Amino acid sequence: MKLSDEAQKILETSMRINKTSDVERKEIEDVIHLMPDDRVLLYKNVVSNPIGDLPRYSVHIRVQHMLTFVTFLALAFTGLPVAFYNHVWAEPLNTLVGGVDVSRVIHRTLAVAMIMTMIYHFFTITLGPLVQMFKGRFEIRRTIIPLMKDLRDFKDDLLYFAGRRDQRPTMDKFMYKQKLHYFAAAFGNIVMVVSGSSFLFPDIWASILPVSIASHFQELMRLSHPHEALLALLVIAFWHWYNVHLAPGRFPMQWTFLTGKITREHQIEEHFLEYLRNLVEIPEERSYLYDLLTARELREEGHVHEDPESMGPDGEEPAS
Amino acid sequence: MTNRRSGIILLCLIVTGVLYSGALYAFTDEEGCLLCHKYPKMGRVTEDGARRTYYVMPHVFGKTVHRNVPCRDCHSYIKELPHREVKTGVSCNAECHSIKNPATGKNFSHKPIYDAYRKSVHGRDKIAEGLDNDKPYCITCHTNPLYNPAEESVPRRVADRCVVCHEDREFVEAWYNHTSRRIRDVKRSSIEIVALCSSCHGDKKLIERHMKAAAEKGEELGRKFPVAAESYNASFHGKVTRYGFNKAANCLDCHADYDNYYLSVHEIRPSRDPLSPMYEDKRHNTCQRCHKYANENYATLDPHPTKDLISNPFIYYAEEIYNWVAYIVIAGLIGLAVIETIGRRRDGVCWRLKRGSSWWRRSRKREDRDRVE
Repeated sequence: MKLSDEAQKILETSMRINKTSDVERKEIEDVIHLMPDDRVLLYKNVVSNPIGDLPRYSVHIRVQHMLTFVTFLALAFTGLPVAFYNHVWAEPLNTLVGGVDVSRVIHRTLAVAMIMTMIYHFFTITLGPLVQMFKGRFEIRRTIIPLMKDLRDFKDDLLYFAGRRDQRPTMDKFMYKQKLHYFAAAFGNIVMVVSGSSFLFPDIWASILPVSIASHFQELMRLSHPHEALLALLVIAFWHWYNVHLAPGRFPMQWTFLTGKITREHQIEEHFLEYLRNLVEIPEERSYLYDLLTARELREEGHVHEDPESMGPDGEEPAS
Repeated sequence: MTNRRSGIILLCLIVTGVLYSGALYAFTDEEGCLLCHKYPKMGRVTEDGARRTYYVMPHVFGKTVHRNVPCRDCHSYIKELPHREVKTGVSCNAECHSIKNPATGKNFSHKPIYDAYRKSVHGRDKIAEGLDNDKPYCITCHTNPLYNPAEESVPRRVADRCVVCHEDREFVEAWYNHTSRRIRDVKRSSIEIVALCSSCHGDKKLIERHMKAAAEKGEELGRKFPVAAESYNASFHGKVTRYGFNKAANCLDCHADYDNYYLSVHEIRPSRDPLSPMYEDKRHNTCQRCHKYANENYATLDPHPTKDLISNPFIYYAEEIYNWVAYIVIAGLIGLAVIETIGRRRDGVCWRLKRGSSWWRRSRKREDRDRVE
């Protein structure tokens, strides 16, 4: 496989950071040379362990995800029947969670737990990179910070889904969907905390704010809290669960949130740039891939396209 | 002879009936009203077709707060039996001639509270015409309530203590419920208060009548008068109250003065009246009953929120924007998921439960992209 300039740059950076020896560098270059240009062929032929092959999330992130999703769902189920009181499901759901006398205690307690999780997460995402910077291992592309590349990836992925492009774009550890979802969740959490606090301490908020906006602020918060909650719940139910459970290739579930590991085929398909770093960082992965590529002939002549951009619709050869 | 004998028998029966009525019904019917009013079918159809019953259920009336009051203390217009047609009915500011106020020694009367009520926004005469007829009279809220049915008999332990001073055990038993009811908090629950107020303030036709009349007269009604009940229900106070939570503010918590709750609920005034606890200058003091740090800023928050274009354009447009953002986000994300599913299935991705991979399906168009076995 001939790597794109971008991928080559990431590979070089990774080898520099990891102080890769010349022998290893040779191994890496060999295995990349053996890779078929068509990544589809590569990820269709690797063996994957359903519970994950390659490291992705630290234990902190997994604990934070667990805390967030437990608190989020319980907060939603205790809060929604109060906000949407005039719907048919509201009363039974409210009774199910113990009635307002009980659910208000649950709701506030879990709100505190959710805020503590946010603080825990904030420390993880600031201290982690600081340590990496200190060790000279920090790479902004490996973080969830959105870059212009994500817009390009989004466009290219849509073209691929529409059959106008031969391969999915080579994406980094966090792809555009994950970045979008992460910042939507972060923004949503902040909205929920601020608006929730305006319900719990309306008098304090009113005394802080100028009189001209105190009322508007409170009304906007009254509107935002249930709207944001419902939107978040719908996004989780329709999109997040689709992505991690229902999407073809991920069914019935990804184990990443428990094991912290991602399957090999998934890494190659959606996070190829991170897979290149895996090849540098994990010698076992390198040798596994080398063995696979030498045992099987995946580079079938006449079917491999050097330049995906020159492809016509549906990956067919353009008429020459 | 026969006539005389039958007359004596009838007289005996009547006397026995009168004497027994007291023992049977747990209250004394010295005036003999139950002679007729004990019959369940006693009633008539009025000129406008309404069916009126004049049946006094003795076993129920005997448990009510008025059981010790002789009928004619209230129905004072009844001078002879059988009595004449009743035209005016009972007025609650009448004076009881049989019950003395033990504190003053005067005849007992509801007049002080009645006078307070008459000065409130709800004040009306017993027989009222026109719009005043929509206002609540005493019995709209006070339906001659029953004593606590769980306390039918006086607990021996308590009665023994009372008779030490009150001597007469019969007196203790007659007045025990009256005392015990007042020692307990006999307020309606928040849900009941909201339901009671909403029975008029949530009545669209009643509201329309008053709005129309006020517009014709050029009078000012409260800004929230047309939406009082529905906007309260949509407020945070209303939402938790409807689920039985009693600590959130109900109608009376804000609109009645708490100096003497039981008196002030009869004195409700519109919020533009300086005597109302909801009057602009006093509003934040009222909020402070629950919201400790409430100041003048806090008093600007709307406890009866509305979101229509005319009364609250800010929230109306904010909600429109929120709704559209939500529709676009959900439609966009579901659209992306559908496009992604279709796009990836084309290259042979499918749903598999086992084997850790889902790339086993044959590609539809590109055989060269299938798994190499």
